[in-house]
Amino acid sequence: MASLFSAWTKSSMDFWGNIAKMQPDTSGTSEKARKNPAYKAQKTWESGNKILMSLLSTLSEPKNMNTVLKGMDSLPEFMMQMAQQSWDGYLEMQKRWADQATKMGRHTEAYNFEGIDQNVFKTWNEIYEKEFQKFLNVPQLGLNRFHQERITQFTDKFNLFQAALSEFLYMFYIPVEKSSAVMQEKVEELIEKGDIHDNFKDYYNMWIKILEGHYMTLLKSPEYTQVMNKTVEALVQYRKAKDEVMYDVLEKLPIPTNKDMDELYKDFYLLKKKVRELSKKLEERI
Amino acid sequence: MSQPKIAVDLILQKLAESTEKAKSRAQKASEVLLSPLETDMATTPYEIVYEEDRVKLKYYKPAEVKQKYPLLVVYALINRETMLDLQPGRSVVQTFLDNGIEVYMVDWGYPTRKDQYVTIDDHVNGYMDSIVDLIRNRHDLPKINLMGICMGGAFCVMYSALHSEKIKNLVTTVTPTNFDTDKGLLHIWMKQTDAYLMGKSYGNMPGDMMNLGFLLLNPARLILDKYVGFFENMDNKAFVENFIRMEKWIFDSPDVPAATFRQFITDCYKKNLLIQSKMELDGKRVDLKNITMPLLNFYGLYDHLVPPEACELLTREVGSTDTEDICMKTGHIGIYVSSKCQKEFAPKIVQWLKEREGDGESAAAEKPASPESASKSREAGKPASDENKKDAKESKPASSGKQDAKESKPASVGKKDVKESKPASSK
Repeated sequence: MASLFSAWTKSSMDFWGNIAKMQPDTSGTSEKARKNPAYKAQKTWESGNKILMSLLSTLSEPKNMNTVLKGMDSLPEFMMQMAQQSWDGYLEMQKRWADQATKMGRHTEAYNFEGIDQNVFKTWNEIYEKEFQKFLNVPQLGLNRFHQERITQFTDKFNLFQAALSEFLYMFYIPVEKSSAVMQEKVEELIEKGDIHDNFKDYYNMWIKILEGHYMTLLKSPEYTQVMNKTVEALVQYRKAKDEVMYDVLEKLPIPTNKDMDELYKDFYLLKKKVRELSKKLEERI
Repeated sequence: MSQPKIAVDLILQKLAESTEKAKSRAQKASEVLLSPLETDMATTPYEIVYEEDRVKLKYYKPAEVKQKYPLLVVYALINRETMLDLQPGRSVVQTFLDNGIEVYMVDWGYPTRKDQYVTIDDHVNGYMDSIVDLIRNRHDLPKINLMGICMGGAFCVMYSALHSEKIKNLVTTVTPTNFDTDKGLLHIWMKQTDAYLMGKSYGNMPGDMMNLGFLLLNPARLILDKYVGFFENMDNKAFVENFIRMEKWIFDSPDVPAATFRQFITDCYKKNLLIQSKMELDGKRVDLKNITMPLLNFYGLYDHLVPPEACELLTREVGSTDTEDICMKTGHIGIYVSSKCQKEFAPKIVQWLKEREGDGESAAAEKPASPESASKSREAGKPASDENKKDAKESKPASSGKQDAKESKPASVGKKDVKESKPASSK
């Protein structure tokens, strides 16, 4: 690597040195010619070339070359480390998901929502927070840091909302699954007794009643309230982050944003309230 | 082990019959759905007599005025007041008019983002107070009758406590005042979640979001079974008309101003301040002991949104000695729309108000049907400009709907308590 870099600096120096030699000699040029723009351009080029040559000769010194090469080595190392961490997170996620997927629904009982296996969602949240979220929280730098930060926040909140919504929808689906299982048992019992209904509406009524019972049990459970609240909170956070990005975009356009209008509405509301209050006082005096 | 016998031939025969029926029903249903349907709501004629911001006041004029004191009806901010005038033959408003009561009804309109800062105080001490003053001026009366529905009832309770000198009689219907109960999922959810945050997030609390919440109270029935019922009856024109009418009403949900929503959830559902006389509006305490006028309190035994436990404490906490609780065997909506309640609910209010008219009858006989008295009223609120006056369409004949709204159950006066006696289901 060092010899390659050394060869490259040497060939660069030779190339630009030869180019410089090809330029016309300007040491004895008259005063008139010196005022010519072409002369000025040549001088600027010569000065730039000298700076480059001195930089290349400094770089070609063995001590400096090592430092440069170390810095260059650390970049792919940094990239590799980042990629490695993402990959590890992904593998971990896949492994834990596979474990949880086999457990899903294994321990749930009819009309009982205390033992719902929510670990798959817990696992996802843990992995997301531990392995992925940190990348979105890497501090942003430079002129665009605030804009970039808003976009990463939006991405983060969107992911969290999707996770919360999935958990909510999963929970909401459980009564359907449980009702089907209970219904199957009931039908088997009826078959055992030889008590077969020939009207399909009877089966539907039976099923909807079971489903309603399951939903009533679910909806009253603290687990459901907790998941619903989590979804509401995630939705609010996501909308807030989305609005921030939208304001950033719309700010550049000649149209008022909700933020602008909300401020105006507030002023308007307070003014109106004041006017109403003063009008009432005035009416009372009259 | 003996194998149970399954009458496969019978099942197949029934299946064939069902298929045939479904086919015939689908044919008739397409005829019904493609024919003109009578699904208009709120067809009783009215006039807009007041407008301020999004709020309007409807005035319904009876053919003959028989009661001296007009009745102001305040609906909730959730859904629309059209429920009280659902259709001819099923209209609380029409019953009042038939009995000679002049009816004023608040139309809260559709809040926009502009209204997000409007608080309960603005509704009660702002819009409602201006409206009450307007009606008092129009009729040259010191007091008027007030009736509230659900959240609107809570507003009426607050108003009557803060302006008791302006209210002659108070009628509350399915009005939540005690929020310290775990009967009803709505109470549980509102207390244990931060749903009020959504109001700020969306500008106002979206009506569609609230409707979704109401559907989730009983998903099996409200999202699934209800529509199965519709498909089974869609060859019945009267059923379809009633169903569509209710659908139109249910999903006509204005947003609720964020500040009002937040205050209602935190002060009422979470802190239960109203029934304890600890609630404050713009620094003024809402003391229920100031409610000294007669109070009639209706609620539904099967109400899953505002259960009896949320309503029945009110009569015991107010300062009035003339109170009555009536628990009807119906749900939250059935009280207004079920056929049986039509015969009991509104007529009871008419009679109750009549008994508390005082010298009203002779005065009413001399009064013109439409109050022409020029008034300060016009100054209190914006006068209705000619172009804003809305004469509703001519009443249409009642459709011969047999079917009650899904929520409604047969109504009957289940419980009638005067202040001294405790309601049967009280704690």
